[in-house]
Amino acid sequence: MVRVLSGHRPGGDLTMPAGEDTGRRKPPPPRTAPIGWLGSLFARTGVAVRGALGRRDGRAVLLAATGLYLGTYLWALRHLTLSGTGGVDVFIVDDPVRTALIRRSPFLFEPVAVVEAGAIVYLLSPVNVAIGLALGLLVGATLAVSVVSWRGPDACRIGAGAGTTAGLPGLLSGVACCGPQLLVVIGAQASAGLVAALQWMVPLAVASLVGTLLWVGSRVRIDPA
Amino acid sequence: MSYTRRGVLGSLAGGASGAVAGCLGRSRDPPEDGSAVTGTPEPTPGSQTSDEPLVDLGVPCTGPEGVVDLSGGRPATEFERAAATPTAEYADGEIPLRETALHLGHELTKLADHDMSGGVNHDGIPSIDAPRFARGDEIELPGCARVFGVDLDGDVRAYPQRILVRHEIVNDVIGGEPVAVTYCPLTGTAQGFYRGGVEFGVSGQLVNSNLVMWDRHRDVRWSQVAATAFEVGDQRGSDDGGLLGRSLREFRLFWTTWNRWLSRHPDTLVMTEETGLARNYNRDPYGSYGPPVSGHYAPGEPRRPNFPLLTYDEADEKRVVVGARTPDGAVAFDKRALMESSVLTGAIGDTPVVAVADRELAVGYVYANPEGVEVEPDGDEYAVDGRTAPPDGLPLDRLDAFDAMWFAWYGFYPDTDRVGI
Repeated sequence: MVRVLSGHRPGGDLTMPAGEDTGRRKPPPPRTAPIGWLGSLFARTGVAVRGALGRRDGRAVLLAATGLYLGTYLWALRHLTLSGTGGVDVFIVDDPVRTALIRRSPFLFEPVAVVEAGAIVYLLSPVNVAIGLALGLLVGATLAVSVVSWRGPDACRIGAGAGTTAGLPGLLSGVACCGPQLLVVIGAQASAGLVAALQWMVPLAVASLVGTLLWVGSRVRIDPA
Repeated sequence: MSYTRRGVLGSLAGGASGAVAGCLGRSRDPPEDGSAVTGTPEPTPGSQTSDEPLVDLGVPCTGPEGVVDLSGGRPATEFERAAATPTAEYADGEIPLRETALHLGHELTKLADHDMSGGVNHDGIPSIDAPRFARGDEIELPGCARVFGVDLDGDVRAYPQRILVRHEIVNDVIGGEPVAVTYCPLTGTAQGFYRGGVEFGVSGQLVNSNLVMWDRHRDVRWSQVAATAFEVGDQRGSDDGGLLGRSLREFRLFWTTWNRWLSRHPDTLVMTEETGLARNYNRDPYGSYGPPVSGHYAPGEPRRPNFPLLTYDEADEKRVVVGARTPDGAVAFDKRALMESSVLTGAIGDTPVVAVADRELAVGYVYANPEGVEVEPDGDEYAVDGRTAPPDGLPLDRLDAFDAMWFAWYGFYPDTDRVGI
């Protein structure tokens, strides 16, 4: 039995259902109508996330994972690079609001500023920061629940790596941003299918991250307080 | 357009200032001899004994890296010697075209069939539509930095490769003519086109790994290397404007280095990084022309180009050729061979052609030579039929020519005459 102390929130502890003490088991099959089961799944996941974030270690994992993911995502977009000249330079476009909404490829939006400081060059694209933050929060929430579960009295082996793996397409979306540059870097032969697939990486990342989070949530049983 | 760039381009620590390697896209210590504007001249061809690959120039370039400062700038209209206001009248949407279309190595429909997405939308790679310039003595660039130079009726300008690699097209007015300065990093092709009453943008599509431009007036797709319209939007066969198969009029863009261009044209203007867009011009996403040469630009890369080619030739695909095509055919000269021998001969169809090297700029010119007159090097000039002429002024009919990676040229012109390849 894994107990995730819900800390500041009423609503009970999070525990693994009996006999569900290993991540190798499948989630429990729906016992009600699909919609009801799905609603229950979301509710349980919500409780699991709130419970995990009610603890200090859960919050720490969320913040660290989100920050790390966001940074990696911006690096994959090449919005964050170590190509600075050693000086300090700031450039802001004329019309940042209009510019921020210009879409260059399916999930790549126009930067509104260049910030150069030392070796770091950062292109600020507000919409891409929002996309990276949203993906990072999904990764962070999944990892928070997983890690908190791992730290319970009995390891339930939810699989802390699941969230990270699910976030991989989001990172790949970054390298799909700039036309052929990724293919040049990795030496892949382009095809219409591959180019199209790269453009679906962000939706794929969202779907896989939400799926992973729900899977983690489905492994948690809420014991009445 | 106003700009809000606040730069502290000076040093942060003891003079170790922002010495970006303009050729490398990486920060390096500045050379002790300081600014590279008047940096160490490149060695003359043949004087180089290092292993430096002779890539795009056909001659070595081992000048020092140096500080890059392409900040500031103003519209070309503010420079007295620039003819930056159109003097020719063009109707909206009107494009100056060649009377006779250029030769194509493939059926037009085949180009359309092989038109594929490079992964970005129309204008996903944004063109520069309001370029700003500085005088050559107001900027700093390493001697080896690649620039694309143009001289139209005495209006002389240079477009740094480090900027064009992020935009690929500049819609400008040079010598009173609306023009498009274009560059495709994947195929190593820099070409100039007269654009009349339209603006060109980057379509996001590629044919033979090469830039496909779109005319923003009616979404006609133009292949850069072929300089020919092959598709209207996504509507195969649609040709409301009667442009399919027609070819653009071209002017020469010189692929050379900053040192060489400045030596030839001390009064040149230079496009600056004040493009109005937030971009990182310190880093070339495809590689570096160096020195050292790396990434996609490196010769001897064992892998094939990333995007499908209509026709492919195994022979040293990244070698640079000087190519020319007319309505009758195409010819390609190995650039290194041309720089070493100064004169090479070939043919387009049944017409003999001659290529000569301009060793100062490290560029080649191609002339139709139907009479087969003798052309001999004479110092930096050429003796033609008893007269001496500079490489760009032989008393022959000069053809539109430009540098290209061999794989790209052969992809478009498998029937090309090949000289030294």
